[in-house]
Amino acid sequence: MAYTSDSIEKLVEEFAQLPSIGRKTAQRLTMHVLKMPKEEVTDFAKALLDVKEKVKYCSVCFNFTDHDPCALCESQKRNKKIICVVEEPNDVIALEKTHEFKGLYHVLGGALSPLDGIGPEDLKVKELLARLQEDVDEIILALNPNVEGETTTVYLAKLLKPLNIKITRIARGLPIGSDLEFADEATLTRALEGRVAL
Amino acid sequence: MIITKAHLLNFRNHSASAFEFAPAMNVFLGENGQGKTNILEALSFLCITKSFYASADSIVLQRDKNFFEVEGTIEVETGRESAVRVAYDERIKQKKIFINNGEVEKFSEVIGRFPVVILSPENNSITFGAPAERRKFIDLIISQSNRLYAEEMIEYKRILRQRNRILSESDTRLNERELESWNDMLVTFGARIIFKRTQFLREFSPYLMQMYSQLVSEKEIPKLLYAPSVSLEENIPPDEIEILLRKKLEKRRADELRLRTTIVGPHRDECIFSLNGMLLKNYASQGQHKTFLIALKAAEFFYLKERCEETPVFLLDDVFSELDEERSKKLLTLVETLGQTFITTTSENIFGRSPQWNNERKKFLIRSGSVISSIKAA
Repeated sequence: MAYTSDSIEKLVEEFAQLPSIGRKTAQRLTMHVLKMPKEEVTDFAKALLDVKEKVKYCSVCFNFTDHDPCALCESQKRNKKIICVVEEPNDVIALEKTHEFKGLYHVLGGALSPLDGIGPEDLKVKELLARLQEDVDEIILALNPNVEGETTTVYLAKLLKPLNIKITRIARGLPIGSDLEFADEATLTRALEGRVAL
Repeated sequence: MIITKAHLLNFRNHSASAFEFAPAMNVFLGENGQGKTNILEALSFLCITKSFYASADSIVLQRDKNFFEVEGTIEVETGRESAVRVAYDERIKQKKIFINNGEVEKFSEVIGRFPVVILSPENNSITFGAPAERRKFIDLIISQSNRLYAEEMIEYKRILRQRNRILSESDTRLNERELESWNDMLVTFGARIIFKRTQFLREFSPYLMQMYSQLVSEKEIPKLLYAPSVSLEENIPPDEIEILLRKKLEKRRADELRLRTTIVGPHRDECIFSLNGMLLKNYASQGQHKTFLIALKAAEFFYLKERCEETPVFLLDDVFSELDEERSKKLLTLVETLGQTFITTTSENIFGRSPQWNNERKKFLIRSGSVISSIKAA
């Protein structure tokens, strides 16, 4: 049933278009917005507009940023000789949470997928090559462990090999804190393939 | 394993049907078009997450309904019960599977957990039809006994679709290195699949021979010959298969670019059936085809029984009507040895003049998508 207010109906529809939000949740969110103080709603609306207006891609690593180049690329504390290649900006956040990696990133903007019309020219591959003109010791390939991520890893490895830079890929294995017996066969098999000598 | 209960909701012509099954034989009796096969199809959803013949989930949805559900209770060998629920929602075109109320993330995790063997009229295409039918047959057996194979198959199909897309657009744009990368993936996964199929057919052949000899009194030797897209010697490891596949890809490159599709790889494998050295497809009689198919399915049952943690359930869809009396009798004798079975039939005659129905063997009368009665006492 439609609401008696077109404005409410419109907002419900807008919310429902967001990923993982169904019509019920959209209705709940809309009711919540109706009850919010006006200042909060203004802030919320402004935040929505700001991400569209202020956020741009870093011209070096192609992560999201307000200021180009981004804080990570500008930082004096980072090791500029190691570049970690990832698919999406969210992957940078995941890796940054570890506080272990001190190098720079390069966000490809996806992975090779002909079915989605994504070829090498649609990814920031040329831009990666350009960055390697400077002194780089190691490239770490940290792409998703699915068919498209694997293929992109293979592609980049072939492309970068002639440059004589150390190329590594992150290991595929078992989640920490889990039991061996509960791991699925594919993960266990990959973990076995990637075993290391002690 | 034993399926003790099932509940069908908006599933084909079953608006709401509930069953309590017997641990040995379950017979669904009724006229044609009353909904007997639909019950087997629902059981197939519980075991392998999908229908054994409908190509899409939405096909089994009852008309004018927007969801269907199949719920089942499965007692595994350790005596523990698992509640399996398959729910399909047409509005979002999504199927969800829950085991003991926990949502299953990857459907491949379910395959092989509740093994099932299905013998239905559609299966005639395994011996009569195109190579794809035989690949489907062996793939489902290997997938049920080796979960990794099920996943590798899914990945291989994805690689194939991606690579075919590149080839289909090769006249407008072809990035050599990109194609090379997909070749690497195709070769890696292709070799794993060919290796496992080779291994499987070697292990499976003795089962087939034994089952066939139980069904036929004359001396006829059935054989399975695997003919992969690259010719192999015995016991060749995956990395050597990779090399062979790569060579073949190079050799057929011009053809692939012309045809714009992938013509090298396990999706082009053939599995050849023969009887006394003669090709089944060309020389066998109708009866021999039927016997061969039953032997294949019985062999599948025992192969899975020894490799899965659970004894498979056996679904027989309208099989007896196509067989002569002697074959019917032999099949029935075989079925008695198989654990829990589910049989659809239009006639009770095959079970003799006065069949015994009891706690072990149950008969369900099916009419217009409903259970009219279930009989366990004679």
